[in-house]
Amino acid sequence: MRNIGFSTGALARGDFRAALRMLAGKNGSAVELSALRQEELAPLVDQLGDLELDSFEYISFHAPSAMQPTFEDEALRLLEQVAYRGWPIIVHPDAMCHRREWARLGGHLCIENMDKRKPIGQTANDLAGIFRDLPHASLCFDIGHARQVDPTMSEASTILQCFRDRIKQLHVSEVNTQSRHDCLSLESTIAFQKVAHLVPVDVPIILESRVEESEINEEIQCALAALDPATQLAVAGD
Amino acid sequence: MENVQRTPEEAMPASEAVDYRTRCALSTDKSNVARIASMPDAKSTTPASPELLDLEPLRNARDASLKTREGLDSLLSAKIGKFASEDTSLVVFGSLAREEWTSKSDLDWTYLIDGGANSDHLKISQEIQKLLKEEGYVEPGPSGTFGNMAFSHDIIHQIGGQYDTNKNTTQRILLLLESCPIGRRTEAHERVIRGVINRYLEEDVHPLTRDSNRYRVPRFLLNDIVRFWRTMAVDFASKQRDRAGEGWGLRNAKLRMSRKLIFASGMLVCFSAYLDPALNEQISTDKDAIKLKLVNHIRDRVKLTPLQILAKSIEQYEVPDATAKELFGAYGEFLGLLNDEKSREALKVLRASGSRTDATFRTVRDISRAFENALDHIFFVNPNVAPLTRKYGVF
Repeated sequence: MRNIGFSTGALARGDFRAALRMLAGKNGSAVELSALRQEELAPLVDQLGDLELDSFEYISFHAPSAMQPTFEDEALRLLEQVAYRGWPIIVHPDAMCHRREWARLGGHLCIENMDKRKPIGQTANDLAGIFRDLPHASLCFDIGHARQVDPTMSEASTILQCFRDRIKQLHVSEVNTQSRHDCLSLESTIAFQKVAHLVPVDVPIILESRVEESEINEEIQCALAALDPATQLAVAGD
Repeated sequence: MENVQRTPEEAMPASEAVDYRTRCALSTDKSNVARIASMPDAKSTTPASPELLDLEPLRNARDASLKTREGLDSLLSAKIGKFASEDTSLVVFGSLAREEWTSKSDLDWTYLIDGGANSDHLKISQEIQKLLKEEGYVEPGPSGTFGNMAFSHDIIHQIGGQYDTNKNTTQRILLLLESCPIGRRTEAHERVIRGVINRYLEEDVHPLTRDSNRYRVPRFLLNDIVRFWRTMAVDFASKQRDRAGEGWGLRNAKLRMSRKLIFASGMLVCFSAYLDPALNEQISTDKDAIKLKLVNHIRDRVKLTPLQILAKSIEQYEVPDATAKELFGAYGEFLGLLNDEKSREALKVLRASGSRTDATFRTVRDISRAFENALDHIFFVNPNVAPLTRKYGVF
């Protein structure tokens, strides 16, 4: 079974310990430790050694989604400590001020495709330019972002066809018109099923849906169903 | 006469006040005018009791509505999954939204979309339609107003003008006056309702009276509600022709009762802007706050069902107990009649030609007269409401 779990930032914004408590005993085998704001980065990196993460088979780390240019050096220094642990580091294209500097993270650097609000990183063309500068980086394919940018899923399909081999993990949620991460609805499920056959089956899934603790397992089931290529075939044959 | 501080009736000698009441009456029916004129002075009797909404047929219909809505949510969640989202709501209208559900009520619904265009919306809407049909819910009428998708843009932007179709007007007004989202995802429904209210108020340049002591009645909204009532009445005749007289009895009964109730409740919502002391106490000098408070006030009012709006108005404007009981008693009887399979069927097959001799329709006529009598008292006699009816109701 593929690894699936939640982003700590989705479950308890800014409180990774609370999020990890919420995940204890649930069906997930993956977690993404999130430091979505600049000021959250150092405390999270400092406490990594103390966290109880043995129950997770897959762990990734989300770098701040926006940073002051003056903080970039410090961020890279802290993120190198994360890279040392061997975890993928998810980075938004527009968060990198001096893009080539980020090559320091080597193969641990994982670029995420963006939602409508961001200036770059939404399309396959944008991503191609970024990977030219960072040839060792991998891709965190945010299927919710891709759907928000193009609900027909044509752009999602193009990204998957161009960069399928670079995909290290998926971000899954429903990204609504206000760019907020939401629970999966029938609408997003139908959309995801259209490209599910293009997504490598062993790539870990990180859910970014904002759910209550009681909804964690249900959301995991929804995501697995939405990305199950067999379900996609059933719809296509309908 | 922009600022109605003192009712004209209060300023008149008693003998003239009776004449005034008759002049207020919109109807030209002489017996109706006499009936209104003979109504008791509103101030001399006890205000309506809040238990009015708990009359047995009303309570039964309310319980049935809540149960049906819960059942719908469970059914759709189990069979379709998460049918609504941040950008879409499944909205029900009609008796289910008004909490007047009876055994053979039809299910008026729409898949309301307030987000980006997406061809999958049709697929979801069709899934819902198919499932509800399979589960035996009575389908909406053949006009196509319900039972499919609706988009927020037209509902909000096309108010008046040549693109405001009959369907669009109906969806908009009923969204305001009798709609309810199903399930937990209610954001799209809420946004669209606030968008519509906001749109009506944007066109009213001066929301306050000249002395800034009170909110004015929101005319744009009021006119649309009045227009909608007249549209329903005109469409009644049009449907009679289109459907060769089929379903006349039931449609006529609904026009006399539930459709009229929607109209009355809509008028009262608009009048409440002027009459509600709590709202008028909040008037500030901040222009944005002035509009926002009115938006919130109207939003809060339309969260109530039409019967709740009537009950609240009756209490607030000190409508006599006898009038209140007449109104709610008549409405309860109407719901009881609709819930009775034999009577409902009799109305369904009744054509206009048989209406004078049909026993069930005679009952409908009696009930609707009592209902109208009570409404007449509220709108033409009550010293708070009558001046506003006179000022805004017709001209």
